Amino acid sequence: MSNLLQEIEAQIAGVKTSVAKQNVGTVREIGDGVAKIEGLTDAMLNEMLDFGNGVTGLALNLEETEVGAIILGDYTGIKEGQEVRTTGKLLQVPVGKGLLGRVVNALGQPVDGKGPVKSEASYPVEKIAPGIIRRKSVSQPVQTGIMAIDAMIPIGRGQRELIIGDRSTGKTTIGIDTIISNARQNKAAEAAGDKEYRPLYSIYVGVGQKQSNIARVVNVLEEAGAMPYTIVVVASASDSATNQYLAPFAGCAMGEWFMDNAMDALIIYDDLSKHAVAYRQVSLVLKRPSGREAYPGDVFYLHSRLLERSARLNEKYGNGSLTALPIIETQLGDVSAYIPTNVISITDGQIYLETDLFYQGVRPAISVGLSVSRVGSAAQIKAMKQVAGRIKLDLAQFRELAAFAQFGSDLDAATQAKIERGKRIVEVFKQPQYNPISVEVQAAVLWAAQNGYFDDVAVEKVKDCQNKLTEYLTTRKSQLTVKIAKEKALSDALTAELKAAVTEFKQTYK
Amino acid sequence: MKITKQQRRDAKQLFRGCVVNGLLDEDRARRVVGQVVAQKPRGYVAILAHFLRLVKLDVARRTAKIESAIQLPENLRASVQANLERRYGPGLNVSFSQNAGLIGGLRVQVGSDVYEGSIRARLAELAESF
Repeated sequence: MSNLLQEIEAQIAGVKTSVAKQNVGTVREIGDGVAKIEGLTDAMLNEMLDFGNGVTGLALNLEETEVGAIILGDYTGIKEGQEVRTTGKLLQVPVGKGLLGRVVNALGQPVDGKGPVKSEASYPVEKIAPGIIRRKSVSQPVQTGIMAIDAMIPIGRGQRELIIGDRSTGKTTIGIDTIISNARQNKAAEAAGDKEYRPLYSIYVGVGQKQSNIARVVNVLEEAGAMPYTIVVVASASDSATNQYLAPFAGCAMGEWFMDNAMDALIIYDDLSKHAVAYRQVSLVLKRPSGREAYPGDVFYLHSRLLERSARLNEKYGNGSLTALPIIETQLGDVSAYIPTNVISITDGQIYLETDLFYQGVRPAISVGLSVSRVGSAAQIKAMKQVAGRIKLDLAQFRELAAFAQFGSDLDAATQAKIERGKRIVEVFKQPQYNPISVEVQAAVLWAAQNGYFDDVAVEKVKDCQNKLTEYLTTRKSQLTVKIAKEKALSDALTAELKAAVTEFKQTYK
Repeated sequence: MKITKQQRRDAKQLFRGCVVNGLLDEDRARRVVGQVVAQKPRGYVAILAHFLRLVKLDVARRTAKIESAIQLPENLRASVQANLERRYGPGLNVSFSQNAGLIGGLRVQVGSDVYEGSIRARLAELAESF
């Protein structure tokens, strides 16, 4: 019998031809990282092309007689007339837990000098977003650790929340804070052996940024101990426009792996304005027709297909999620420009940062009126909902009344009280960078603010009082914070306990 | 050379007119070029340049280049030609050439399809695998 098998195998081996069919073309034109290739009749859209000597390209334009391709890597060695082959493969990047703690480029190659990336799987860079059958509505929170966000603009796992604002208003900081906050929660849950807790892994995609900025971000993450839960994908300003265009998609593919494998991930695209600019450059050198502000017609689809890949999957498909925090930089606060309006309409809400607030010392400089989270409130824990329910309204009223108060007219006692309360809430929401606060402490502090415990404290002393209260709660009343974290709601008994604790603190505070 | 969309369209139309039963009619192509040169319509040089490119691509598509390290015997040539015609249809211009650089085996190129069966290609593949 074994003889027969061997004979058949030998026959098959004899029939198998070593001649492989290839599809080739020749470079007709090369420049600006884009090649026009004649031939390549069988090339697929987004297929990787082999230029020889380890240089690969990506077929983006399939025309009647030629193919337009972007070169990944160094294009200076490519000459006119050079032979190009199709590979039959779509562009893929390595994915998996082996990437955590690493800094990689748009192709998933390490740039941190820590040796090769250990990964067993790879995902295509372009993928169709999960359909409606696989999805579920957002119901679990992402704790950013920033009190103003967690209270008023809550973010849920699987949500897409835009961070928008002028240059240097703290957009990146919000993303970094969120990564640090979640890394701390992951670590705490690991230490406590909490099996219920779903760790949230983070991916930071830096597009078109200065390398010094990215180095700073990596440094901050390392110092905060967040790197073991984070992947950094880099396409800096010195990288080619093609790499800048691909980086968010590569990062998204890495995030999708976590989502498909029943885990939760968070991805920060920093920033999509520069991504759109890189795509405009690629499109223009590919001679695609340009539209408004010289962006190509499909710049909306560019961002919608990217952000649509963030989702919360239902239990049948593993219950994983991918949360996206895209960042957009506006010019002089103009949110009605082309790219900002596009991304605002795609996302499930936005956090708007204002320059004026930033220089008034309100940091994070979140504009409460213009910021909104369309789906996140469903994901907020009950304790937070109980204390933060009216805060957004109170703050909005405060801003309205504060405008009247400027005229110096006499105000009735109720209005005066509202203004005073508003001033204190603004103070409570001020928070230094890279210093996330746990949700139970946030709930306790907000409860104290809502119930007037800060009303008799001078406005400039509110922050000090809040810090001391936080210290008091986390050290002397740690049982209480643990209870709030566990129950996730302020029951009557817990409220009474909290009341006793805060009253006791107020007696000692001077 | 700068070429407008209209000129490109005109060249394409002329080219289509030269195709009979899916094959380029050489006589017609010659006559078309002669007519255009005689009439000199606006931008005729650009039109002819694009026409030339279309013809060149069509010729390349219908040309089979067979390279071998040594001179191929007549019967092998005939069988290769027959096989190619069976796969790519009639009207194929087959050209045989010798290339000692291949070391051994055959390299067949029809349009942008390449059937690489040479020793050189295998060695290159081996070198890449290292």
